[in-house]
Amino acid sequence: MLFHSQPFLLGFLPVCLAGCFLLGRVAGRAATLAWLFVASLFFYGWWNPPYVLLLLASIAANYAAGQYILRLARAGRATASRRLLACGIAGNLGLLAWFKYADFLLHIAAPRAPSLGIFLPLAISFFTFQQIIFLVDSIRPDRADTGFLTYATFVAFFPHLIAGPIVRPKNIIPQLQHRELAPNADNLAVGITIFLLGLAKKLVLADTFAGFADTGFNAADAGAQLTLFEAWYAALAYSLQIYFDFSGYSDMAIGLARMLNVRFPLNFASPYQSRNIAEFWRRWHMTLGAFLRDYVYIPLGGSRCGAMRHSANLMATMLLCGLWHGAAWRFVIWGGLHGLYLLACRRCGFTLPRPIAQTLTLLAVVVAWVPFRAASGMAAWSMLAGMAGLHGSDLPRMIVHALPLLGWIATPVEVLPHLGDARTLSFPEVSACLALGWGIVLLAPHVHELSDRARAWALTSSFALSMQAIFFAPHVVPFVYFRF
Amino acid sequence: MEHEGAPEQCEKRQYFGPLLRLSLACAASLVLYVACFAVVLDRPLSFGFLHREIEARVARGASINGPKLIILAGSNGPYSHSCATIGPLLHLPCVNAGVAIGIGLDYLFLRWRPLLHPGDVVYMPMEEAQYTRGRAANALGPDAAVMLHNDRATLVHLPPARWMGALFSYDLRGALMAVIETALVAEDFHDPRAEGTGESNAFGDHVGHTAALARANASVLQSITPYHPTAAQICSGYGSLLIAGFIDWARAQQVTVIGGLPTGFADSPIPDATIRAIRVIYESHGALFLELPNRSRYPRNAFFDTADHLNETWQTIHSLAVARGLVPLMTLNREQDISNSKAIKRTSERAAGPPAEITSNTTASTVPPPGPTP
Repeated sequence: MLFHSQPFLLGFLPVCLAGCFLLGRVAGRAATLAWLFVASLFFYGWWNPPYVLLLLASIAANYAAGQYILRLARAGRATASRRLLACGIAGNLGLLAWFKYADFLLHIAAPRAPSLGIFLPLAISFFTFQQIIFLVDSIRPDRADTGFLTYATFVAFFPHLIAGPIVRPKNIIPQLQHRELAPNADNLAVGITIFLLGLAKKLVLADTFAGFADTGFNAADAGAQLTLFEAWYAALAYSLQIYFDFSGYSDMAIGLARMLNVRFPLNFASPYQSRNIAEFWRRWHMTLGAFLRDYVYIPLGGSRCGAMRHSANLMATMLLCGLWHGAAWRFVIWGGLHGLYLLACRRCGFTLPRPIAQTLTLLAVVVAWVPFRAASGMAAWSMLAGMAGLHGSDLPRMIVHALPLLGWIATPVEVLPHLGDARTLSFPEVSACLALGWGIVLLAPHVHELSDRARAWALTSSFALSMQAIFFAPHVVPFVYFRF
Repeated sequence: MEHEGAPEQCEKRQYFGPLLRLSLACAASLVLYVACFAVVLDRPLSFGFLHREIEARVARGASINGPKLIILAGSNGPYSHSCATIGPLLHLPCVNAGVAIGIGLDYLFLRWRPLLHPGDVVYMPMEEAQYTRGRAANALGPDAAVMLHNDRATLVHLPPARWMGALFSYDLRGALMAVIETALVAEDFHDPRAEGTGESNAFGDHVGHTAALARANASVLQSITPYHPTAAQICSGYGSLLIAGFIDWARAQQVTVIGGLPTGFADSPIPDATIRAIRVIYESHGALFLELPNRSRYPRNAFFDTADHLNETWQTIHSLAVARGLVPLMTLNREQDISNSKAIKRTSERAAGPPAEITSNTTASTVPPPGPTP
C-alpha cells in the first residue's frame, strides 16, 4: 500500500488510528500493540499477501536468535554468543543475497545464464538491516528484555516498514512499550502536518520532476544524443526527484509515527546545502549512513588503522552502500564515485569559500546521480557527454530571440525534443519548475526546522495541490525507494 | 456554572487548538487554490489558443445550413485530413472539428450535438488513445481549464465529477505556466508557433505544416515508438463508452456516423485485433466504418512532427483516399435509409411488427474501400 494512495489515506490510516486509540482506551497496551502488528501485516500484505509469511518467518527467527544470543551473553558465554550472532547475521544476509543479489551474482559468474526470476520482496533491505541491528544489540547483556509482540510490532511497524527510516530497536521498542495510548492533540497535529508536507514533496514536487527526468533519461537510453541543456535539465530534475521523493517519504513516515505518539529519527537535513561530501552523507539518508558507519565502517577499523586501510574501509563501505540500493553495476558505480569523493574530501587540506564549496559538492552529487538513474552504461555515458556539451548546445529560437546573448552558446531550434513535452513553451516551463525546486532545497530550512507558523504557510501553499494530485491526477507514481 | 465551565472550555481549546490551526491551513489552501485558478490565473497561450480553435470550428459548423460533413478526432483530424479537399469531392460543406487529443470526448460531443441535424455525416478517425483514455484523465484534459475559464455554460451540463475535475485541473506545472503565459501575453509576446508549425484555415484544417518544415523534426520522428493498445483496452476504455453513446444519439437524430482509423507509421501497424475492436464499437451501434487498404499507414517521412500528424503534402493524399472511401459508404447509407423508410412505411401500413433493422455487416464490411497504397 502506498502512503499517497486513496486506499491508504481514506481507508487504512483512519481505521488504523481509530482502532489504535479505541483499543488503547478500552483494552490496554497489549491489545493496541496486537492491533498495530496486525494492521502492519495487512499494510504489507496489500502488495503481495504470500510475502507476509516471509516477513513473519524472518521476525520469528530473528527474535528467537536475539533472545538466545542475549541469554548466552548474560551467562557470560561470549564466544558462543558471538558465534550465534555471526550465524544470525549470515542468515539475514543470505536471505537478502538470495532475493536481491542472486541474479546479479549469477550473471557476474555466467553472463549468459538465464535469469533465476526471483521476485524481490518489498522492503527486504529495510527489515533485514533492522533485525541485524537487533541481533548485534543482543550481544550486550544490558539489552532490555523485549516481548515477542513488541519486537514484531517494532519490525513490522507500517510507518517505517517499506522504505525506512532505518530505526534502531533501542530507540523504538521503549517507545512502543511506554507509548501514550490516548490521542495527543499536539502529536496528532504535528504528525498530520509533517505527513501532509511529505505528501506534497512526493506528489507535487517529486512527481513533477520525475516527468522531466524520465523524458531525458529515457531518450538517452533509446540512443538519442541529448544536447547541453536537455542533459543538464534531466540530471538536475532527477536530483530533485530523488530528494523530494525520498525525503517526502521519510517525512510521511515520521508524521505517521508521530500521530501514534512514536518519534522517529530525522532522515534528511537539507543535504544539498552541504559544503562537502562528508557533510552530505551526514545529511542524506542519515539513518542508513549511521547504520553503515556503526555496523560496517567502524567494525572494519574505521580511521584507526593507517591511511591505506582507512581508504579501503571507506571505499568498501560506500561500495556496499551502492550495492544496498540495488543489484546492478550502476549502483556500485554510484557508491564508488561517492567513495572517491569522500577520499578526495579527506585528502583536501584546504577550505574553500562556502558558495564555491557548496557548488562543487552539488556538482559532484548531481554527476553521480547520472549513472545511478541511467538504465545502462551507454545511456549514462551519453548523458554525461551531453552535459559536457559534446552533443552540441541548442536552445529554443524564442529564447535566443528574447536573450540574444545566449546565441553565443547555443544554436536556435524550434523546440528541444527531449525536454519536457517538447513544446514551444517547454523550456521556460521546465526552467521555472527547476528554479522553484532548487530554490526550496538550497534556500529553505527542512520541514523539521520550520516553526509552526512556517509549517502552516507551507501547508497552505501545498495542501490543495496535493489533493489535486491524489484525487484528480490520473496516476499514482510509486516511491523511488520502493526498489531498494 | 460559568466559572466552572470556563477552564474546561479553555482546556478544550488548548487541546483542539493545534488541530484547528491545521484544519484552517488546509481550508485556506483549498480556498486560495480555487480562487487563483478559477478566477485569477489563466493560460492564455495554451488553453486560450485551444479555446479559440474550438470556438472557430463550432462557429463554422453553426454557420452551415443544410447537410454537412464533420470530422471529429484529436489533432490527427486537422493535421492529417483536409476538409478543403474532402468537402468538394463529397459535395458537402465540411468542418474539421478535431483540435487536440487531450480534449475530452464528452466535451467535444456536447459542443457538436446542437449543431448536428438529420442528413449530416460525422467521420471519426479517432486516435487509439482516445478510445482507451480513462475517466480520470478525461476529466483533467485541457478542456477542463478551457471550460472553467471560458465555457462554464457547457461545464454545467456535464456531470459534477467534471466540475470538480475542472476546478482541480491545475497542478504545479500548470500553476507556473499560468504565471509565465500571463506574463508573456502582458509583454506582447510574439507566438512563434505559426511560423514553425503552420496554422488553421477556415475549414479547421491545419495548413502550412509543410514537408520542408517537417525536416526539423526528422530525428524526432525516427525515434518515436508508437504505442498500440490491445483489443481489450479498446473495449474497456472510457473513450469507447463515450463514442458508443454518441453513435446511439446520432442514429436517433438520423446523423450518419462513419468510424475510421487514425494516420500512423507504416512500420508500426495497428494490430488486427485492435482494429477489429475499434470497428466493432461503430458497427455494433449501427454506424459505418471506413478502413482504407493501407489502414491509414504512411512512411515516416510523410509525417510532420508526431506519429499522428501527416505533413501537408500527405495530408492531401490521405484526404483524397478518405473522400474516395466515404463516397460508396455514404451512397450505401442513403440507399439503406430509403429502403429502411420504405420498410417502415410497409410495416406501418400493415400495422404489425417492428421496423427492419439495418445490420452493420451489410454496410461497411461488404464495401471494398478504395485508397492509395503508401
